[in-house]
Amino acid sequence: MTGFSAPTEPNLVDRILAPGGLRVEFQPILDAEGPSAAVHSFECLSRGPAGTHMASAEILFEYIRRKKIEQTIDRACIEAALEAGSRLAGLPHFAVNVHAITIATDPDLPAFLKRAASSRGISTTRLTVEIVEHAPTWHEGSFLDTLARLRGLGVQIALDDVGLGHSNYKMILEANPEYLKIDRFFVTNCPNDRKRRAVIRSIVELAHEFEAAVIAEGVETREEYDWLADHGVHLFQGYFFSRPLPVEILMGDAWRTGLPAGKLEASA
Amino acid sequence: MSEPRTILIVDDEEFIRFALSEYFSVLGYQVDVAGEWEEAEALLASRRYRLVISDLRLTGFGGTEGLEIVRSIHQRWPGTRVMLLTGYGSGEVRAEAIRRGADAFLEKPMALPEIARIADSMLARTA
Repeated sequence: MTGFSAPTEPNLVDRILAPGGLRVEFQPILDAEGPSAAVHSFECLSRGPAGTHMASAEILFEYIRRKKIEQTIDRACIEAALEAGSRLAGLPHFAVNVHAITIATDPDLPAFLKRAASSRGISTTRLTVEIVEHAPTWHEGSFLDTLARLRGLGVQIALDDVGLGHSNYKMILEANPEYLKIDRFFVTNCPNDRKRRAVIRSIVELAHEFEAAVIAEGVETREEYDWLADHGVHLFQGYFFSRPLPVEILMGDAWRTGLPAGKLEASA
Repeated sequence: MSEPRTILIVDDEEFIRFALSEYFSVLGYQVDVAGEWEEAEALLASRRYRLVISDLRLTGFGGTEGLEIVRSIHQRWPGTRVMLLTGYGSGEVRAEAIRRGADAFLEKPMALPEIARIADSMLARTA
């Protein structure tokens, strides 16, 4: 009997990195300060190949962390985000997620980011690097140097998941971010939760001392928005305003009008 | 209402994943598959399965090193049953697997109906 040879299937990493393997959706961050809300920027959210578990961002990034390929995937996600984002008119700002370990171990990241952006007609001054998974960075010197060089390009820095995991005061001090993002864990039901309210107030006060802005993530109700707005938050992200959207929906100038910012006036 | 019969199949050979997945799906299980342990870990981080069926010698693991799978699963989901499949079993490895908490240790090749019978029995004990 001849031996059976199973066909060679592409491994999962190759499928993620293949053309079209990473899909990007854009979730607007709204600035509600002033008489009417406006789109402040878009967070670029990556998903893996459709039809696989990696289509879930949660599973995709859990996988790449366990494979320890954050640097490779972060770069691929940045390329995909800028490629899609270049199709939006009106010079919107973008936030791209980058693992802390990538910043610490990829000294060429600023040069890469500059090339990826300029080749698509995007100024680096329109970019925010959102640091995720703030694991202890043993290459602290490289981490701070890379952040400085990113800032030299006009890139702003956001710290994701403030209050969770390794997001500690030392990280906040060293990164000195322009934005602190309050995780949805604290935002959910905050109007009715005394302790969550206390945490949020402390983050808002901390941001004030750092001259940083606070972005509240995962805002899903009018009540949450109202409470946050009454307590010093003016940047919002969440399903109350908009789910993440593919670029096709935001094409051209569509993102300037008809976006969920209108929901604030509609529900007032 | 009884808990859904969710199962995660982990094997680096596609045709084994396919065969087990199709068979258990027909039996009414909700099946996820993973071709490598890191993929399985990513799935286990986001959802609980009632049963994990895993090849012991996934690429990168050898001998009793693969038994770390059992500890890793139970650390996150203590109530999840673990069935290990191997084509290279020894009495020593089998004993160590059971000692570490594996609920079943089966040697390949094994007929699908027999694997399913053992799986049903395992889940009936936790229903």
